[in-house]
Order: sequence, then C-alpha cells, then structure tokens
Amino acid sequence: MTSLAMARRRATAARVWGQFRRSRQGMIGLGVLAVFALVALAAPLLADVRDLNPVFARAEGNAQWASPFDHPPLGTDYIRRSVWAQFVWGSRVSLFVGLAATVLTVLIGSVIGIVAGYLGGRSDGALMRVTEWFLVIPFLPLAIVLASVLGRSVWIIIFVIGITSWPSTARLVRAQVLTVKQRLFVDRARSLGAKGSHIVAHHVLPNVSGLILANATLAVPISILTETTLSFLGLGDPSSASWGKTLEEAFVNGAMVRNAWWYFIPAGFGILVVVLAFTLIGRTLEEIANPRLSRAR
Amino acid sequence: MHPGVTPLVEVDDVHVHFGRSRAVDGASLRMFAGEVLALVGESGSGKTTLIRAIQGLQRTTAGAIRLEGRPMNATTRRAVQTLFSDPAVQMVFQDPTGALNPRQTIYEIVAEGLRIGRHGKDEREKVAEALSRAGLRPPERFLTMYPHEISGGQRQRVVIAGAMVMEPRLLLADEPVASLDASIRGEILALMRRLVDETGLAILVVTHDLGLAWNIADRVAVMYLGRIVETGPTEAILSDPKHPYTRALLSVVPETREMEQQILIGEIPDSARIPGGCRFHPRCPLLQSGTLPPEVAARCPTDDPGPVAGDLAAGAACWAVPPG
Amino acid sequence: MSEPLLSVRDLHITYATHDGSRVPAVRGVSFEIDAGGSMGLAGESGCGKSTLANSLLRLLPVGTEVTGEVVLGGKNVLSLNPGGLRAVRWTSGAIVFQGALHALNPVQAVGRQIAEPMLVHDTASSEQAARRRTVELLGRVGLPGARADSYPHELSGGQRQRVLIAMALACDPLLLIADEPTTALDLMVQAQVLALLDELKQERNLTLLFITHDLSVLTYACQRLAIMYAGRIVEEGPSWEVFGEAAHPYTRGLAAAFPTIGDLSSRMAPAGLAGDPPTPGNLPQGCPFNPRCPLAQDGCRDAEPELRIAGPERRAACILV
Repeated sequence: MTSLAMARRRATAARVWGQFRRSRQGMIGLGVLAVFALVALAAPLLADVRDLNPVFARAEGNAQWASPFDHPPLGTDYIRRSVWAQFVWGSRVSLFVGLAATVLTVLIGSVIGIVAGYLGGRSDGALMRVTEWFLVIPFLPLAIVLASVLGRSVWIIIFVIGITSWPSTARLVRAQVLTVKQRLFVDRARSLGAKGSHIVAHHVLPNVSGLILANATLAVPISILTETTLSFLGLGDPSSASWGKTLEEAFVNGAMVRNAWWYFIPAGFGILVVVLAFTLIGRTLEEIANPRLSRAR
Repeated sequence: MHPGVTPLVEVDDVHVHFGRSRAVDGASLRMFAGEVLALVGESGSGKTTLIRAIQGLQRTTAGAIRLEGRPMNATTRRAVQTLFSDPAVQMVFQDPTGALNPRQTIYEIVAEGLRIGRHGKDEREKVAEALSRAGLRPPERFLTMYPHEISGGQRQRVVIAGAMVMEPRLLLADEPVASLDASIRGEILALMRRLVDETGLAILVVTHDLGLAWNIADRVAVMYLGRIVETGPTEAILSDPKHPYTRALLSVVPETREMEQQILIGEIPDSARIPGGCRFHPRCPLLQSGTLPPEVAARCPTDDPGPVAGDLAAGAACWAVPPG
Repeated sequence: MSEPLLSVRDLHITYATHDGSRVPAVRGVSFEIDAGGSMGLAGESGCGKSTLANSLLRLLPVGTEVTGEVVLGGKNVLSLNPGGLRAVRWTSGAIVFQGALHALNPVQAVGRQIAEPMLVHDTASSEQAARRRTVELLGRVGLPGARADSYPHELSGGQRQRVLIAMALACDPLLLIADEPTTALDLMVQAQVLALLDELKQERNLTLLFITHDLSVLTYACQRLAIMYAGRIVEEGPSWEVFGEAAHPYTRGLAAAFPTIGDLSSRMAPAGLAGDPPTPGNLPQGCPFNPRCPLAQDGCRDAEPELRIAGPERRAACILV
C-alpha cells in the first residue's frame, strides 16, 4: 500500500472514530466493555485466585453464605469461596470464550460465505448444502455428547459454539457477496484483467467487511450467552470459574431460597451488562457504516 | 478510406445466444486505428451484448473477434480468463458512479489495471499523467479522494483515465455520456475525440443517441435485433440513410426536422422470436407503403438479406437497396 | 383574455435535511399556462424541476417549506385543506411519472392501478364501470384491453409508460404534468409516446406541462419553453426561439449539447459547458451561472439578475440581455 493510501486510511479511521465518539450509545457500550476488559485482564490484581479453591477458603476461615456486609465485597458462597473472586475470574472465561467462539464463527462463516458467493454454480450449491447440515445441528445435544466423550473443558464449549454458529454468518456473507458480485466495478476490474483472487481481495472483501464486523460484534454477546447456558447446564469446565457456572452453582445450591442475592446477582448482572455493551457497539458501528456508504452525490 | 491496411478490430459473424434468445445473431464489423465508430441501436438490438463480447466479458456462441489479427473472443470460461489480461482493449461504462468502487481512492482506481498486469514501474507518474490527460488537473488534488467526493462528470473522467493508463488500442464505450448532465456531455465527448486524434486510439461507442454519432463518429453501424443492418460514413448514413430502419430512426430524432416522421408500430421483437425472412419486415414502412416492386416485396418476408459485411463501403441489409 | 389554467407565483421550496440544514430547491419561480397550451420545463440535475413538478399537487415530503401560490383552475392548491386537496388531485391535475418500475405497484395488476383513482374519486359508478373505462383508456393509449390483467414487470418500458398515461387520464384532468415521461425510453418508443401525448392533448383539450432534461424533445412537444437553473427560471419564451436563438448563455450552452444532425458546424465539434451544475444549498455568489459562463463579467458576481424582457413574449435572467 502506498503512503498516500495509508494516510487516507488513517484519515478514514479517524473519521469513523469521531463519529463513534459522538454516539452516546456507542460510547456507553465502549466504556462498559473497557471496564470489564480491564477487570478481566487485571484479575490477578483484583482478586486472589486461591480464593476460588474451597480448601483454601476453609483454611482462611470464611463463613458459608456470608453476606457482603460480613465478607466484603461480595460475600461468600456455599463452600466458603469469595464471590468477588468468582466474579472477577469468571469475567475472564466469559469474555474469552465469547471472543474466541466468535472468532471461530466469523472465520469459518466468512470464508465459506465468500467462496460460495463468489464461485457460484456447483461449488456454491455444495457448500450451501454443507452449511445447511451444520445449521440444523442443535448445540445442546452436541455439547452434551462431546462433553461426555471428551470431558468438559472451555475448548469444547468454544468449539461447540463455533461449529453451530458459523452457518448463519456464512449465509449472510454469501448474500452480500452475491450483491457485490453484480456491481459494475467488478465488471470493470474483470475487464482490466483481474482474476478471482484480486476481485475478492480488492472489491468483495472491502465491501463485505463492514457487514462481517457488525455481525461479529453482535455474535459475541450470543456466544457469551450460549456459554452461560452451557455452563449453567453443567457442561462447563469444572475447574475454572465462569459466570454461567456461578449461576448454576447458585441455583443448584439453593441461593434463591436462602435469599443469598449476592451470589447470583453479580454474575447475572455481569452477563447482562457485557451483552448490552456489545449490542450497543454493534448498533453504533452499523449506523456509522450505512450513512457513509449511502452518502453519494 | 484505408486501402490495404489491416483492420484493428474484426468482428466476424459473431453470435451470442442465451438459450433460445439470440441476442447477437451474426454481427460483423471492421474498425481501424484512429477512428470512432458509433454502434447505434435501441434496447433489444444486442449492442451491449456485442460490446461485452468484444471486451471479453461475455462468451460468444459462434464467430470470431480479432484484434490486430489475434483471436479475441472466448467460447469457454477459461479462455475468457486468459483474454482479460490483454490491456489493448479497455472499456468505459455507462454508469460512472457504479463503475467505481466506493471504497477505493481515485489513485487506487486508476492504478488498478497497472497493478493487476504488474506494470508497476512508474506507477505514480502514469496515474498522474492519465488523470491529467483526462482533464482532472492538477492530478494531485484527486489522488486521495473517494468517488463520492467528485461529480458525475469527473467520475467518468476517472473511468477514462483508468482505461487510458493501460495504453489501449481500442476503447469500448457503452453509452459514455447517457447518465451525465447534458451540459457536460460535450466536454467528455471532446475529450474522447482528442484522445483519438492524439494517440491513434480507436473508439467503438455504443449509443442510442444519433446526435452523439453526429458529434464524434467517423462511421456509424446500425444494429437491429442482433444484426448490423447498415453501416457507412456518418455523413452518408445520417443525411441519406438507405435502410428503412435507419430512415425511420433518423426521422424521429427530435433534432432532425427535415424528414417526415415515420413512427414505427410496436417495439423490437423479443430476441427469442425473431421474425422469418428479413427480421425487420413486420415493421418496415417501406414494405407497408406498397411502393416496392413486387419481386422485391415478395422476398422480404421469406428471404433473409444476411448480415452486412461491415466494410468501409456503405452497406445496408435490405432487398430494396441495390448492393455497392 | 381568460385566466390561465395554471398560474404559479413566486414559488419557493426549501427542503429540511436530516442533519438540520435547509436546502432551497426552488427560489422564486413564476409562470403561467393557458388552457389548452403546452409548456416545457427544462433543466439538469439540481435545478429544482422535479421538486417543482411534485409541489404542484403538494406531493413533497412532510416538513418541506413551500411558499407562494399555485393556482390551478381558480383554486390555490397550496392553501387547500386536505378535503379540497383530495378533490383537486387527479381530477384537476394529474402527473405522468417516469415509467420506471417503481412508479407502479409491482404486486398489483395494472388495470387495478388505473381504476384506482376512478374509484377513489367516485368518477366511476361501480367496479364494472371502472373496468370498462380502464379497457377504454388502455385502448386509447395503444394497448390491448387484455393488458389490464398484466403486472408491471410483464410489460416493456414503453408499455409501462402508456399505462402511466392511461392512469393519469383516469379522472379526465384539465392539466397533465409529465415528469420525465420519455427518459430511459428508446428513440422509437419515445416518438410513439410523444405522438400519443400530442393526440390526447388535441382530443381532450388538455393543458400540458412537460418536464425533462431533454431540450430537443421539449422544443418538439411544447409551445413555450422555460429553462431552469439553480432553482430559478433563467429563460422562457416560444420553444423554437429559445432553442434556436437563446438569449441566456446557459440556454445556449445547453442547446449546443443537442446538435442538429446535418449541421456541419457541430460535426466533430461536441459542445458543452465547463464545470458542473451547482448543488442547491451551495450556490455561487451573484448569478449562479457565472463560474461556468463564457460571457461572465465583473457585474455578474454582484447580484442575481432578474428576468428581463428579451423579445416579444420572451424573458431571460442575464445582465447582457
């Protein structure tokens, strides 16, 4: 890329950021996300990981079901572990799984969508049949089967979410590629001698990337919620903390009955707020992308 | 006009069929360096399909297209791919806004052809020169702009610059000014004419606008339902057309008032249902006038006059027009 | 001398855009058309002619500021209440739009669309009467009655345009406003549509307002011609005079873009104007044409010239007149 092009790209990025900054919903979403990202990254500084170990917790002399007034900041659970530690360390898993699963989804979905959309014909047909096959796989039975065969782990969850979510991304991307393929500037590129790889790289991708980004940003909260669901149903990694797991344990061990609100509210709140943050960011990106593209003379 | 000189472009009895629809049904043309040929016709005549076949964006079903003697047309998809890399033929599109990728800068758009063909040396100079030649001065002002920041006329100049940077021998222009404001058409047409005079380029302009042909074309070829029905020098064709279809077209152009209007009935038939005999005969005012000698009138519905050879000599595919 | 059928006086139309700014699309237009007359309004993109056409029946988006008077058949359309406006629309004045697919409802048969205004305005006594009249109208515009059951996508461009003409005539209007009716049509089909409009005009003593960018079509189809530039009329007069011997430099430049075939002076000499038509809301100082004008002088940047007399029944807005 020439220096001119780089300068122009920087200017465009600056402009997009400027527009993003002006959007209240976008900034709120970004702010919230930044806070949680910091919490996740700074987990070792915020909470002792040993507090997740029930043996350690007992040794520390923690009470069971202690309220936040007795054991700040968020009390303890049924086996004396600090809820705050679970919240902080759980954020890591939830965010990591959400992002990693989304990366897998978007990667597989985009590649297949672009290839199918651009090639058309029989290749497109074959790929679409494969996509449909994966589309109908229900994620829960798959997770149960894999977990029972391979044992429960975070990677299983990431894999399950990725494998079952990529089809919808693929279809969306393919539809957009079909539209872009018809545009006159693709004809122009072909008449200049461009081969398929050039057209995909220079014309299809740039006009599809906005859609992929917006789709990805909205796929992250879905992945987080799916992870929560799987953990809540007991398919999560038993050794690591996650918000879904916290909710499961709270539910199973009667936190609702005991009115131990400090046990389940933080995790639930965390999920809600992170999902909302991603949704706000995704919406703002979509709004920015659309008027820019339609601002033609 | 050009005796003994090899034609730059030869279109020989080209057919482009889509199933039963015969969009181009035996069209033949010749073009020489340094001239502008206007391919005139209405929608449904096959002119856009033909020009796309010459560019290589469309497979031909039969016939040959040659550029400086080299075969240019493709009957298979793979052959089409190898043709594209020939920079000698470039295209200017009807919709300059659609022809430019909104996410590319003007520089990238004009340089694209060079980058694809890896003619990378002096890329920046070549791009600046092409923009300048196309009337966008100073070129530096435009390099980092995006298509939506310039006007429609300027966008078309960018398309032309992008084509000229490849140093083509032949430029195919599909209605190059139809979607531009009338007052700025003259400049774009003057630019095209200037490029021909300065570089020896040949331009094949597809248009429905006879006024445009009058403005810049050396020769005119009239297309009807997949065939060229008349061809010849512009002055001859537009002042004294021989083929009844050309006569009718010329008579309804608002800018010509000397002729009595001959408004044809109905529209161009579907290319999947081409009339037998002379394909124009159901709408031919000459045939309907009853003034033709009976032996000629009898041939029209049954005998196909065949495609015009597309020579330099004026030719019209009509039984009522004596050959030569 | 009787009152003109359509009288537009000092019309100003300003759009409100989504980011709050206001764009003046029409800046003080006045003209008149006598009953049975035909007037052409020519101009390029951004001149305001389509805005003007839509304003005559108040079809502009909500929030658009319109001031001035549009007197049609004695009533000021701009000041009518909704009931009065409904009564005037289609019965006093009707619009023929450009026949692109989006002027017709793609999921309704064209016959129903032609009959719709009849039923809305109660000019047909029953559905059968409306149907009879639809078939009659289709015949009058040169289409077989069976076409009433076709959908828009089944018709060619020329046929769709005829359907739109039939629709406009459904309630026997006094004024027919044709907004780019032949743009995007082939030469021969254009000629057919123009001939049809001419016949209908004679038959029903219609008054015609023809709006297009194609100056040559207007000189052929209309008695008088008005040229619009940057939201104002810059020249008007009898069409052949305005086209052939323009008083305003813009008209001259625009007319040069439509060369007369056979005229050797335009052979190999395409003529036009430099620059681009101005965008509304971003007009040059003084006369809006001055940056592109080959005859521009110092005084041109001071103030925008008013329309002045340039001959019998002719006016032009240029200080050189």
